[in-house]
Amino acid sequence: MKDKLRNMSLQGKMIGISLLVNLMIMIVNIALLIGINNLSDRMDMVYKGNIQLNSLSEMLERVQNSMTGYLNTKTSDALAQYYKNENEYMLMVDELEGGISADNSIRMGRNIKVMSEKYLEVVSQTIEAKRGRNVEKYRIRYENASKLYDYLKTYIDGLNNEQFKTNSANYSEMLKTLRMFETISNVSMVLVIVMSIILTARLTSELVRPLKKLTERAETVGKGKFDVEPLTVESQDEIGVVTGAFNSMTENIQEYIEKLRTSMESEQKAKENELLMETHLKDARLRYLQAQINPHFLFNTLNAGAQLAMMEGADRTYDYVHSVGEFFRYNVKKGYETVTVGEEISLIDNYIYILNVRFSGEIHFKKEIDSSLLKVEMPGMILQPIIENCVNHGIREMMGEGEIVLSVSRLDDVCCISIKDNGKGIDAETIEKIMTGKIAEESHSGSSSHNGVAMDNCIARLKLFCKNDNCFSIISDGKGHGTEVIIYLDINEHEE
Amino acid sequence: MKKRISTFWMLIVSGIFLVGMVAFSLLYIRFSNSRKNIASNEKYSSYYAMICDDNESSFVRAVYESAADKGREDGIFVELMGENLSRKYSKEDYMEIAIASGVNGIIVEADDSPKMTELINEAMSKDIPVVTLFSDSPASNRCSFVGISFYNLGCEYGEQINKLIDEKDFTYDKIKVTVLVSSSEADNAQNLVYTALKETVDKNAPYRKTSKPVEIRVVSVDTTNSFSVEESLRNLFITARDEVSDIIVCLEEQETESCYQAVVDYNKVGEVTILGYFDSQTILKAIERNVIHSTMSVNTKQMGYACVDAISEYKKLGYTSQYVATDLTLINQVNVNRYIED
Repeated sequence: MKDKLRNMSLQGKMIGISLLVNLMIMIVNIALLIGINNLSDRMDMVYKGNIQLNSLSEMLERVQNSMTGYLNTKTSDALAQYYKNENEYMLMVDELEGGISADNSIRMGRNIKVMSEKYLEVVSQTIEAKRGRNVEKYRIRYENASKLYDYLKTYIDGLNNEQFKTNSANYSEMLKTLRMFETISNVSMVLVIVMSIILTARLTSELVRPLKKLTERAETVGKGKFDVEPLTVESQDEIGVVTGAFNSMTENIQEYIEKLRTSMESEQKAKENELLMETHLKDARLRYLQAQINPHFLFNTLNAGAQLAMMEGADRTYDYVHSVGEFFRYNVKKGYETVTVGEEISLIDNYIYILNVRFSGEIHFKKEIDSSLLKVEMPGMILQPIIENCVNHGIREMMGEGEIVLSVSRLDDVCCISIKDNGKGIDAETIEKIMTGKIAEESHSGSSSHNGVAMDNCIARLKLFCKNDNCFSIISDGKGHGTEVIIYLDINEHEE
Repeated sequence: MKKRISTFWMLIVSGIFLVGMVAFSLLYIRFSNSRKNIASNEKYSSYYAMICDDNESSFVRAVYESAADKGREDGIFVELMGENLSRKYSKEDYMEIAIASGVNGIIVEADDSPKMTELINEAMSKDIPVVTLFSDSPASNRCSFVGISFYNLGCEYGEQINKLIDEKDFTYDKIKVTVLVSSSEADNAQNLVYTALKETVDKNAPYRKTSKPVEIRVVSVDTTNSFSVEESLRNLFITARDEVSDIIVCLEEQETESCYQAVVDYNKVGEVTILGYFDSQTILKAIERNVIHSTMSVNTKQMGYACVDAISEYKKLGYTSQYVATDLTLINQVNVNRYIED
């Protein structure tokens, strides 16, 4: 029952409340009306007896008068009048309550009844005597009748008085009842109204309470605080439905946020891991490379070789060994430091010399250098890998004479270092791969025998140094048309 | 949840309150409706009328009360005629009314008048037994007379006077005894009392201790209207200023009380000795204070019972005792305390 009430729709509840309150007021009103009706009915009845007795007295008088009238005039009119009155009087007397009782009214009623019979008897005898013109008889009978009439009158008056007394007592009691009833009704009306107000307030607050809660909660959620307890759904009305929807909404939002956060976190972690792994890998590779050469031993060995060559007078051997020594010294010393363009170029000279010795002058190396740019700074070990690539991938695999042109020129505020070969060239796809570093990845994953400082490392370092992605470009017209690698370096004022 | 329950209870409580209030107000009206008519619902099988000279005298009232009591026991309602009427009628009128009303029996304080006799006979002829009370209508066909023996009453008064003459020291050379009789009294009851009284006093003359002559006189008291008794008694004291009687014999309750007041007012206490009649509280108090010497008390209860019994017996058997005498009691200083009600 209670659950049923609770699950009523909002409109139903409101109608229910107003029905309840109005019903309460209506019941009390009806009760009061019934009471007042009852009382007023009784008020009407109070003096009914007196009115009745008054008309009885009047009728008695008429009987007496009509008899006297007949005795006086002996007209049939008067006689007819008499019969009519007598009849009516009889009927009225019959209505009286009578009996032997301690109650004065009832006893008097009885006496009036009996005496009336006697009186009417005497009256009719009188009239008979009058008809028979027995003067003496009707005179005496008239006197008797008059006496009885007098007694009757007195008795009726007495009864009237008696009834009036009891009626007055009744009336005043009734008046008291009425006053009391008035008070009761006033008090109960006030009580009912107060009760209705309280009840209405109570019930509506009950109705509105979940709505208020919902509003408060919505404000909290609106401020961005999603981790709130779900509201209890107290009823199945519209508010209940909205509350339920609100609950699932906040829950869903919360869940969604949580999901988003975890996915973001895992993604970030994965990225960090990847980076870390890459660094580690590079680090490991570097250590590996470094571990391949024990520089001091190499230098000492080469120095001893050079000195031996000098002592033996083999100048070319001395030069060669010395160049190799210088090359590696540079490699060890300046490997990853910032150097000048001039230092790089001298490294290249050594390297080409070594190569030419190795490959007995196969490589034609030309230099076109703006000597004002020799002091421009750049990262070390950049040009050598490029030259190495030119030699390994460009010239060595071609027929005919290989030629490498190194030019350093100024273009506005930029120093352009160009390394151009006439080798087999690179297709655009490979250029793209080189530029994006993909070729390095392929070579790492593959079992390439290639070692040394890779192109991608050079490019990355250059980009880091220049803080500019466009500091390096590879130009090739395709297979057999050679390749040109151009490096753009910013010229700083103080360097000049 | 707590709040919800309390609202639920509130609903129930207010519902109960409403129903209760409505029920109460309706019941209240019902109850006040039926409150009357509870009393006087007893029904009686017979109806006797009692007709007396003075409905207000405590003597009549006492007799009526006992008759009514006896009637209630037997299922008879006894009505003291003229109680609820706006007009006062004579005894004869009341007789006529009673006859016309068809009562089952009449108790009447009768007299010797022919009218009364005629009415009594009329009633008897209409099967309404009539009992005469206190004073008789000897010529009528009444079925019974209930009263005291007036001769005995006179003798009792006479003996009291004889005792007084012997005991008391009278100032004057004559001992004056006044017997108050009512002027309107047509019966010979009071005459009978006077005769018996005189006889008793005279009989005792040779044995008197004093030689003073005793003079007994009858003074008529005007009883034609309600206030005349008192006035004529006062006159008695005013006109005979120095020669007020030594002994006054009152044969009526009202006379006794008026006489007592007059003696007090005219400062004759001790000088005038009152022999009273009936035992009203006023008279008993006066005896206690020694203003009234003694009073004759009639057994009113016996009287009332006898009246009702006589009629009932007559109706049942067709005859009854013609004369029922009730007891007389002398109340004086010695036994007055027994009769005084606190």
